[in-house]
Amino acid sequence: MNKKKQARLSSETKPKEPRKLVKLPLIWIFFVAVWGWASCYYGDVFRISRDNSFWVPDTEQMNFVLNCHNGWLWYLGRMFLAMFRHPWLGGLILSLMLTVGSWLIQYCLRLSPRFRWCSYLPSLAYIAVVSYLGLNIFFETETGRLLGIPLLIFAILCLCAIVVRLAGRKDAPAFCGIPQDETMRDNYVQLAVFGVVLALCIGFVQWQRPYVRVICKMIVQNDNQDWQGTIDTAHENAELSYRPISANYAIALVHTDQQCNRMYDIRLEYDSLYLSGWGTPVNNGNQLYIAECDFHAGLVETAYHCCMERMVMNGPYIHAMELMTKCALMRSEWKLAEKYLAILDQVPFEGSFCKKYRPMLYNTALVNSDDEMGHIRLTEPMHDSFENMYQKPTFLGYNIRLYEGRSVNALWNSLATCLYTKLMPDFVDRLNPLNGSIPPDNVADGILLATNKRPGLDKRFQGMDLRAQRLGSYLEHMQPYLKDRPAYARQLFDKYKGYYPYYYFFGNLKATKKSTTQASSNSGVN
Amino acid sequence: MKKFITYALCIGVAALTGACQGEHNTLPAQFEQLEVSAPLYPDYTNIVIPPNIAPLNFMVMDSAAGEFVAQFQGKGEAIVTGDGKEGKIQIDSTAWRKMLQENLGNDIQVGIYAQHKEGWVKYKEYTLKVAEEAIDQYLSYRLIEPGYELYRQLGLYQRDLSNWNVQPIYENNREYSETDNHCINCHNYKNYSTRDMLFHVRAKHGGTIMIHDGEPHKVQIKDSTILTAGVYPSWHPTENLVAFSTNKTGQTFHLFHDEKIEVMDEASDLLLYDAGKNEVTHILRSKTQMETFPCWSPDGKTLYYCNANLDGKIDVDQPDSLVTMSLVYKYDSIYYDLMKVDFDIESRTFGEPQMVVDAASNHKSITVPRVSPDGRYVLYTLGNYGQFHIWHKSSDLWVKDLENDTCYALRKTNSPDVDSYHTWSSNGRWIVFSSRRDDGNYTRPYLAYFDKNGQGHKAFMLPQEDPESNILLLKSYNVPELTTDAVTTTQESLHDCIYNTEGEKSKYIKQ
Repeated sequence: MNKKKQARLSSETKPKEPRKLVKLPLIWIFFVAVWGWASCYYGDVFRISRDNSFWVPDTEQMNFVLNCHNGWLWYLGRMFLAMFRHPWLGGLILSLMLTVGSWLIQYCLRLSPRFRWCSYLPSLAYIAVVSYLGLNIFFETETGRLLGIPLLIFAILCLCAIVVRLAGRKDAPAFCGIPQDETMRDNYVQLAVFGVVLALCIGFVQWQRPYVRVICKMIVQNDNQDWQGTIDTAHENAELSYRPISANYAIALVHTDQQCNRMYDIRLEYDSLYLSGWGTPVNNGNQLYIAECDFHAGLVETAYHCCMERMVMNGPYIHAMELMTKCALMRSEWKLAEKYLAILDQVPFEGSFCKKYRPMLYNTALVNSDDEMGHIRLTEPMHDSFENMYQKPTFLGYNIRLYEGRSVNALWNSLATCLYTKLMPDFVDRLNPLNGSIPPDNVADGILLATNKRPGLDKRFQGMDLRAQRLGSYLEHMQPYLKDRPAYARQLFDKYKGYYPYYYFFGNLKATKKSTTQASSNSGVN
Repeated sequence: MKKFITYALCIGVAALTGACQGEHNTLPAQFEQLEVSAPLYPDYTNIVIPPNIAPLNFMVMDSAAGEFVAQFQGKGEAIVTGDGKEGKIQIDSTAWRKMLQENLGNDIQVGIYAQHKEGWVKYKEYTLKVAEEAIDQYLSYRLIEPGYELYRQLGLYQRDLSNWNVQPIYENNREYSETDNHCINCHNYKNYSTRDMLFHVRAKHGGTIMIHDGEPHKVQIKDSTILTAGVYPSWHPTENLVAFSTNKTGQTFHLFHDEKIEVMDEASDLLLYDAGKNEVTHILRSKTQMETFPCWSPDGKTLYYCNANLDGKIDVDQPDSLVTMSLVYKYDSIYYDLMKVDFDIESRTFGEPQMVVDAASNHKSITVPRVSPDGRYVLYTLGNYGQFHIWHKSSDLWVKDLENDTCYALRKTNSPDVDSYHTWSSNGRWIVFSSRRDDGNYTRPYLAYFDKNGQGHKAFMLPQEDPESNILLLKSYNVPELTTDAVTTTQESLHDCIYNTEGEKSKYIKQ
């Protein structure tokens, strides 16, 4: 028997050793997990929270926070939130705070290894609350709370630890290595506790607040003028139907001139958002997108108006000030833009924004040559009128009534709005400039639908035959479903995604709830 | 311990050294003389200043320079002060006060030096003329965002013009509360004294707060015959009476216009409120005439006001909604004239309305008349149309000389932007007003000298300890009012009055 054979035989006869488990450096795993959660998974949400907040070192400017109850705490909370301009940085700080906090609990409470899992509960509770609140962590609320409260708890723990240290000279549990006093079971129970709770939090967000990350991601993408990114995000989440998603999607379509082609690629049913705000029992979150939609629809004055009202109610915040800077630049209000840039210059990490827009001061040509503002310029009104003359929201009301635009883009916006609002007489009134041309897909479908009441309308345009055939077969197929449109809308979406006649009959069926954000007790002539 | 002290000292010295770096408090020996003025914020060049004003701190907006020095030279010792890159020239208060007192009626020359890469330059000098007449010591105002409809944190404040002290008179609920949200506006004083003052509270806890000798009480100036509660007030100079306008006001927002907001009255009348008896009566009431902005003459025998004649323009007998629509469509052809009615103090009766300045004939509109303490001048705002000139870029300060019946603009005082809501000092030599000249949006209080010949001089912004603060402030200064004394009532007593009293309803006396 040769040696090889002997070896094989001996290995076959030896009993198998159980796989050896190793103890893990849980503090570090927890740190990495929380960092990943705060920066990668929830990073955009924290980033938008930061953009809806404002912090500068100057206490005079922060008086609007400091003179409230717990003002100093909210001031510090806002300071830490400011780091989320870069989610990896903000996440790092938050994760450090939560991890060290957990470690300090172990130390202060002298937790035996068996109960060490308890030390992670406060941090996990924080993550759970943040997940539960969804958009409410920044929407019409004091943003300083988001990091102010954990900061306070962290500070208390630090003080407790100092007292414990001075009083008992107790040795600290291992932070950098693997605690020697833990059994394998203790070690894995801890891992299981925070692993499961973190997974539950993520699961809750995915199932109960699926829109939160998507909305925030789209806002970030639009802020970065990554229009294609926004469109892709909307398509990836086409099943989600919430107004802020549609609004941000529409903005991206406007900038890529696809508003008359691709608006109906996503569901437009508008489920309710979990939102609370300033005295608003019903809140459809319109404050999340109205100013932006006005701005991108060319209604720069109205966008400024919305931003100002939001700043009045929420206090100054970065996103509004950035938008107001752009509005001021577009309206050649140079001194005003200069003022906002001077303020933003003091906000941590806003240097790049200021660097980009400061050269545009007193330089209309540079403003017009900016991709975003130049595009918006094309749809600015040609004449003055009053906001109050239009149906709300103004970016829809204005475009429904638009009769004169400074470019074809204004016509596309107006036609897209008429289609969206299903106001076919207004839609037909605006078709003349397209006579003899091949209209965009949604417009062509709208023309065919309107032809029922205006026989011969479709003859004014080219390339309608194929679409007419499709409409014919669609209408035939639709007949059984038309009896109970709300019931079948969801079922038919996958099949007819992107097809305007589907939207016309089955989309956006819920009555639009009017916003009550501007509570009467808080409005008047100032 | 010794080590610790040594370290602390080292850090202190290092910090001081660092802090002083870039500051230069001596005049450069060599410099190039420039023929241009220094770009200053605020613009304090060639102005007349009160002898009791706080130091006129400013910023030199020269980004190419690394250091700045300013020299103030009058009679006596010069003040030399400097700053690093930021260019903030902040003058020592004690030295400044001494300098102003030594230079009453004289000029102070100001030289500004900036260190560029190529060396020091000196900008063209300018002068500060120190007037002999002081300005009233206290300026009260409301701080509020230049908002459209909504309000949150706002307050009435009082600034001591001779230093940097600011005291809140009253701040509303700091935090949002559906049950407590309220707005405050239209603070007003009797004869430049805070002994008798008032302001309105709107929304929750609403009413008019009347304050006498520091004791506040709330009243409800309401009646079914009155359009709304009292709005724009004017204290009678000798009697315990207040003239109010009562206005049914609406507003609308421009979509594509240099001006953002249009505030319009749909109707307005004038009221006389007897503060002693808590009685109210109409002074003028008409559907076709819109009377507003009452103002007593210093002798209390004449009431000036503004009036828009709707006769022939708007069919006021239409339903209210149609009247509103008509007004919106004709917003830029509603003009207010300056009018007056005589008042008999004994019988408390008014005479017939008389035209003082016919602005409508010239397609202009007058608002906010204020009579000078000597009774000779009526200072008002003239704009192209309407009554809310604080949002009209065309609005300028004008004066009617009642002695020789002439009207003229205060050209040196005015700006291309909004200039409105003015007030006189008690000696008639200073005017303070709100102006949007800074950035077109945020109003700031401007002060201007009004000389014995009835001419207004170049206006200057209310000085601040940190000259940059007016750039960074996101609120507007509303309704600046000068007083000779400080408000004595406390925030606590006002809070108690506003929150815990309903307010006594005034009795309406039918004429």
